[in-house]
Amino acid sequence: MRERHGADEASAEPLVSVASLSRTFGSKKALDDVTLAVSRGCVFGLVGENGAGKSTLIKHLLGLWRAERGEVRVFGLDPVLEPTTVLGRIGYLSEQPDLPGWMRVDELLRYTRAFYPRWDTAYATQLLEQFGLDLDARVKTLSKGQRARLGLIAAEAHRPDLLILDEPSSGLDPIVRRDILEAIIRTITDEGRTVIFSSHLLDEVERVSDHVAMLHQGTLKLCAPLDDIKAQHRRIVLRFTVPHADPPNVPGAIRVEGAGREWTVICDGSRIHVPAMAQSLGASIVDDCAASLDEIFVAHAAVN
Amino acid sequence: MTLRLNASSGTPLYLQLVERLKHSIATGAIRAGEQLPSVRKMAEDLVINPNTVVRAYRDLESDGIVELRHGSGVFVRESVSARADLMKKAEPVIRSAVDRLEALDLDEDDIRRLMENELALRRTARQTRKRRA
Repeated sequence: MRERHGADEASAEPLVSVASLSRTFGSKKALDDVTLAVSRGCVFGLVGENGAGKSTLIKHLLGLWRAERGEVRVFGLDPVLEPTTVLGRIGYLSEQPDLPGWMRVDELLRYTRAFYPRWDTAYATQLLEQFGLDLDARVKTLSKGQRARLGLIAAEAHRPDLLILDEPSSGLDPIVRRDILEAIIRTITDEGRTVIFSSHLLDEVERVSDHVAMLHQGTLKLCAPLDDIKAQHRRIVLRFTVPHADPPNVPGAIRVEGAGREWTVICDGSRIHVPAMAQSLGASIVDDCAASLDEIFVAHAAVN
Repeated sequence: MTLRLNASSGTPLYLQLVERLKHSIATGAIRAGEQLPSVRKMAEDLVINPNTVVRAYRDLESDGIVELRHGSGVFVRESVSARADLMKKAEPVIRSAVDRLEALDLDEDDIRRLMENELALRRTARQTRKRRA
């Protein structure tokens, strides 16, 4: 079986590195001292509520915004200083792909192809057929789903080293969402290519990501391999003999939520001995299982 | 092969995949000696990260259920067929029991409840014996 993360790849420079990046819009801190690295060959999931700073971070990676404070490197280069080199190796799809409505589908693809020496016409044709896109249709007449698919072809057909998808699934039906997820999997099964994928649909992120970063109000709350995040967070349901008006004080818990006799605790299961914790509280354990990414996210977002 | 995974259940996807594959092997849907799909194909079919598939295959390997043959793929071990055979042998036993229960005019829920009760009784009896010993 093939190892996708060999020792030499792990020790190599990260594909993307962000160091102490801060950005303010007026009095609002859109990004506050964000530091992270994306290694080659992985799917990096970026999660957070609307306005958490996901798109702001991505715009810095694309060189659309200059770092106010801190440093951004993509392929080891500053994307603001070397936009042509950096953007030539990136495929980008946003929530609302900015495609010229008056163009026909074939015109748009010919136009896009001109920017990318590595454009793979056979691959683009294959995707067009798979998605059932009409070459003669005007872009403005396409449905939201078909427009997203066209955006995906434009982002993917030059086989970029880095595919960046910013909330690509927003407002799309499950079939188009699946096409997008399939594109992510295709991209990384192609040796050495990397995906950054931002979404508020956490089950999608859980499906495809190797590494997950969680932004909340501009700060990075979590940034770790998905396996580690899953292994560390447990969801424990406790039942007490007498009702509690306030959440019971559970040492080491990230979040305690519930009412009356039954309370749900999200905690780091590798640090807490659950039966001992329940016993010391005088509660019985009703359920103890791995927390979903959704529950983990909500728990961390609630902590300030 | 249809394997549905649920990414919002909390159970890590690789564990879900391990369980689904074990089930398919135990019921004979995947036979001994058969080759499992490549990591790439499995990842693309299920729309999950290829590393998740790698991890599931490694788990199955360390449980002795599959073997990784370098360069040629992942194969279900011959030895697991013993268990599948046993399950096959059990099928007529359970079929005749269910036939007789249905003859008594019991419905599906009744039969399931009876089966679970019987298993629970035996479990309690075993635990009591253990405690006394």
